[in-house]
Amino acid sequence: MFPWTDGFHWTPTHIIFLSLFGAALLAILSTAVWGLWNTLNAFRKHLAAATCWRQNFGELPATERRCRHELAGRVPSRLCDHAFDCRTCPNYEKLAALPANAPASLAGVSYSDDLLYHRGHTWVRSDWDGTFAVGLDPFAQHLVGSPDAVQLPEICEEVESEGVAWTMVKNGHKIRVRAPLAGTVISTGGPDRDFYLKILPHGQPNLRHLLKGPEVAGWLAAEVVRLQMQMSNGKTTLADGGTLMPDLMDNEPGADWDAVLESTFIDR
Amino acid sequence: MSARYGMVIDLDRCTGCGACMIACASENNVPPAAPRATWRTGITPMLVHTLSNGKEGVDRREAFIPIACMQCEHETPCVSVCPQQAVELDKSTGIVMQMPQRCLGCRYCMTACPYHARYFNWWDPQWPPGMEHSLNPGVSVRMRGVVEKCNMCHARYHDALQKAAAAGKKKIDLADYVPACVEACPTGAIAFGNLADPNDPVTMAAKSPDAFRLLESIGTEPKIHYKTTQAWIRALADRNSGRPTEAQHV
Amino acid sequence: MSETALIDRRWIARDAERASTARFLLWLFPWVCLLLLGIYAAGLCFYYGLNQTNMDNRFAFGMWIFLDLSIIAMGAGAFFTGFLVYILKQTDLKPVLNTAVVVGLTCYSGAVAVLMVDVGQPLRAWFTFWYPNTHSMLTEVTFCISCYLLVLILEYIPVLVQNRQLRRVPSFLVFEHQAHKLVPVLAGVGAFLSFFHQGSLGGLYGVLRGRPFAYRQGFAIWPSTFFLFILSAIAVGPSFLMLVVAAAEKITGQTLVDFRVYRKLGFISGVLLAIYVAAKAIDTYVWLNVTSPRLGFGPWDYYSYWPFSSTFLFAATVPLGLLPAILFIVPRTARHRGLLLLAAALTCCGVLLNRFVMTVQTLALPTLPFDPFLKYIPSWQEVATFGGVLAYGVIVYSLSYRYLPMFEATKGEAKNVSLD
Repeated sequence: MFPWTDGFHWTPTHIIFLSLFGAALLAILSTAVWGLWNTLNAFRKHLAAATCWRQNFGELPATERRCRHELAGRVPSRLCDHAFDCRTCPNYEKLAALPANAPASLAGVSYSDDLLYHRGHTWVRSDWDGTFAVGLDPFAQHLVGSPDAVQLPEICEEVESEGVAWTMVKNGHKIRVRAPLAGTVISTGGPDRDFYLKILPHGQPNLRHLLKGPEVAGWLAAEVVRLQMQMSNGKTTLADGGTLMPDLMDNEPGADWDAVLESTFIDR
Repeated sequence: MSARYGMVIDLDRCTGCGACMIACASENNVPPAAPRATWRTGITPMLVHTLSNGKEGVDRREAFIPIACMQCEHETPCVSVCPQQAVELDKSTGIVMQMPQRCLGCRYCMTACPYHARYFNWWDPQWPPGMEHSLNPGVSVRMRGVVEKCNMCHARYHDALQKAAAAGKKKIDLADYVPACVEACPTGAIAFGNLADPNDPVTMAAKSPDAFRLLESIGTEPKIHYKTTQAWIRALADRNSGRPTEAQHV
Repeated sequence: MSETALIDRRWIARDAERASTARFLLWLFPWVCLLLLGIYAAGLCFYYGLNQTNMDNRFAFGMWIFLDLSIIAMGAGAFFTGFLVYILKQTDLKPVLNTAVVVGLTCYSGAVAVLMVDVGQPLRAWFTFWYPNTHSMLTEVTFCISCYLLVLILEYIPVLVQNRQLRRVPSFLVFEHQAHKLVPVLAGVGAFLSFFHQGSLGGLYGVLRGRPFAYRQGFAIWPSTFFLFILSAIAVGPSFLMLVVAAAEKITGQTLVDFRVYRKLGFISGVLLAIYVAAKAIDTYVWLNVTSPRLGFGPWDYYSYWPFSSTFLFAATVPLGLLPAILFIVPRTARHRGLLLLAAALTCCGVLLNRFVMTVQTLALPTLPFDPFLKYIPSWQEVATFGGVLAYGVIVYSLSYRYLPMFEATKGEAKNVSLD
C-alpha cells in the first residue's frame, strides 16, 4: 500500500485507483464531519433549541398548527407556516390589524388579560425590575395537577427561546416545558409558588409571538376541544361536558397521556 | 527473466504410478486427507489424471497425464486477480509464487485457473502422532482457509541458491535443483530444466513436433509441456476437437 | 394495554397505525429463529472451517457468491433511487427513498457478512486494503463496497434519529437537520461508487481468460460484463423496490405509496431492461462468434450439459428479460398492478438467473479437455447462512417500518387505512 512496504511498485493504475478512492472516502468522511461540526456549532451558538423547535413544528398535524389569527377569529382559516414565531412572520401586522371575534365560553379554563401566553402553555409576566416571570398556565395545571418531581434550571443558567425551560415528572411521564423567551435565570420558584422561573432577557425582548387578550380565549377553546378528542380516543370521556376537571392525569389514568402531553407542550 | 524453469512430461513414459504425487505431498508437508475429504477437496499439487480415447475393447487406449501448476507466463490468470497480491510471477525463476501467509482465502485465483491447479485448505492440517517428525523443515505448513499450489519445490531452489552462494557463485547449478516429482518418477517421464537456456535438453524437447501444451488457445503460455507420439492424446488436448471424452482420476 | 405494550407504543410515531405488540412479536418470531439458525451455521463455518460447505476445489465459488452478487444487484435500488431523486430531481419517487436506503443497507451489510464467512481467513480481510492489487476486479469491489456501506450507514442515520423517542435527544435532532443538507452529496458519491462496483462484479468474471464461458472483450480494461452488470443492476433495483413495498403493503394491510410511484419505478425498470436485453444480445453474438472461438471454445462446450442448455440463455433474454420490459412499458399492461408486480418478479428472476449463470455455470463447465462435468449442491450450512441474511433483512425492515417514518413523504396525502 505504501512506498516503504516490501514489494511496492509505483504504477499509474495504482495512483489512479488510490486517488479515486481517496477522493470518495474523503467526500464521505467530510460530509460526516461537516454534519457533526455543524451540530456542535449549533449548540455553541445557542441555535440548537431553535432548530429542534422548527423540526418538531414540522411534525405537527394540521389541526395543531392553526394560526393565532384564526383562533382569534380574525381570519376564517389559516395554518401557521412560521413555527409559531410571529416575531419574524411577514404577515403578522397585516393580520393583527383585522378585527377579532373570539368565542364566548371556555369550559372552565381561566386566563388573565394581564399575562402573555405561550402556545406551550406557559404564561409570561413583565415585572417592575425588568425581569419576566414564567409560570404554567391553568390549562396545563388542570392536566398535571401537582407534579411528582420538578427539575428547574440553575440560577444564572441560560434558557433559549423554544428550548426547555424546566422539566416535570408526573405518573411516569416526563414533561419538557418550553421556554417562552430567552435569557438568564435569575430566580426559581415551583408549583407551590406563583411562578416557576424569573428570567432576565438579553436586551429588550420581542414578545410578539406570545398570545394576549381575546386570542387567548380562542386558543384555549380550541385546546379544550383538542383535549376532549384526544381523551375520548381512550375509554374515558369528559362526562361533565361543562367544566374542565382538575388533576386530570390522576383522575383519568387510562387516557393516552403521551399524545395529550405531546400536543399540549408541543414536544414530539 | 534470468531463468524460466519448466518441464516436459513424456506421456509415453508415464505409467500412472503416482510416485510423483506422493513425493510432492511428502516434500510440501501436505497433511493426510481429513476423514471427509474427497478427490475434490483434497490437496494434490501434483495430480495424475487418466485419459482414454473413449473406445472399447481392443481399440481402447489409455494414458496418464500429471497436472500441476503450469507456471503461466503471459498475463498469468491467478496473478492479476488476487486482491492481496499474494501471487506473483517471480521474474528471476519464472515460478508463480504463492504466499499462503498473505492469502485471504477468497478463492478467486482458483476460479481463474483453467488448469484447476490450485487447492484450498478446507481443513486444518492434522498429522497423526509421530508423523510430525517426517515433516520437511524447509517448507512451511499452511493453516486452513488458504490456497496453495505447486511452487516448483522452491525450497529446493533456495537450497541450491545457498549452495551456490557458499561456493561464491551467483547462478545455481541445475543439478542441485531437482523438484521432488522429477526425482521420484521411476521412468524419468518428467524432465525439468531452464527454458530460457536454448541449450537445455528440456528447451529442445519442448520444441519437438511431439510436444504440446494444454489449452494453448487461451494464451496463458504455460511452461509445462507434454510430449507424446500418440496422436489421439494430442487430439484430446487440442481444444478445437469438440466434446471432451470421459476421464477419471487416479 | 400491558406495560410492555405501553412502552412499545411510546416508540411508535403518534399518528402511525401499527399492529399490536403481540402481533408484531408473532411476526418477528419465525424470522428471528431463521436468523439464529443462520448465525449458528455461520458459527460452524467459523469454528470448523469451510469444509462445512459443499464447495470444493472445482466449485471454489458456490451458492454464497451467487447470492451475494444477486442481493447486491437487488440493493442497487438504493443508489439508483437516490440518484434519481437528488441528482435527476425525480421527487415523486421520494416516498420510496427511505425503503430504498433500508433495503440497500441490509443487502450490502448482509452480503459483507456472508463474505466474511465465505473467505478462509476473515481476520485477514484488511490485507486487501493494505496490499491492494489495482489490476484485480476484486480489489475494486472490496474498496467500493466498503465505502458504499459507509455511505448507506450515513444515509440511514437521519432516518433512524427520526424515531419518536430518539428525536427527543436535542443533539440527534439537530444532527438530523444538518444531515438532510448532506444527503445529496452522499447520493452523488454513492452513485459513483455503485456504478463502479456493480460493474466490477461483472468484471470479476469477464476478465477470466481461463474461463472462456465468462470471458468477454470490452472497452479498455473493462470487459463487456462490466457494463452489462451495471445495466442489469439499475434495471432490477427499482423492480425489487416495488416488490418490497408491495410486500409491506400486503403484510401491513395499508396503502403506503400512490400507484403512480409503482408505475414510474416500473417504467424506469422497463426501459433499462430493454436496453440491457439489446446490449446482452449483441454481446452474446460477439462472444459466441468472435471472443470464444478465438480461445478455442465453441457453443457446444457451454450448452451440452444438462441443465445448462441454451434454454438458460433464452430464458434470461425473453421471458425474464424482454417480456417484463414490455409489460412495464406498454401502458395497457402497466396500468394493472398485478401485471406490474409480475413484471417486477420476472425481472428479479432474470437477474438471479444471470448471476447464477455467471458464477455457478462458469465453474461447472469443464475447461481441460478431459475434465468431467461436475455437480454441486449447497450444504445446509450454506442455505441456512443465507436464510439468516434474508431473515436479517426482513427483521431490519420490519423494525424500521414500525418505529421509523419510512413513508414520511406521504404525510398530508390521502391514505386508505384499513380497519385492523
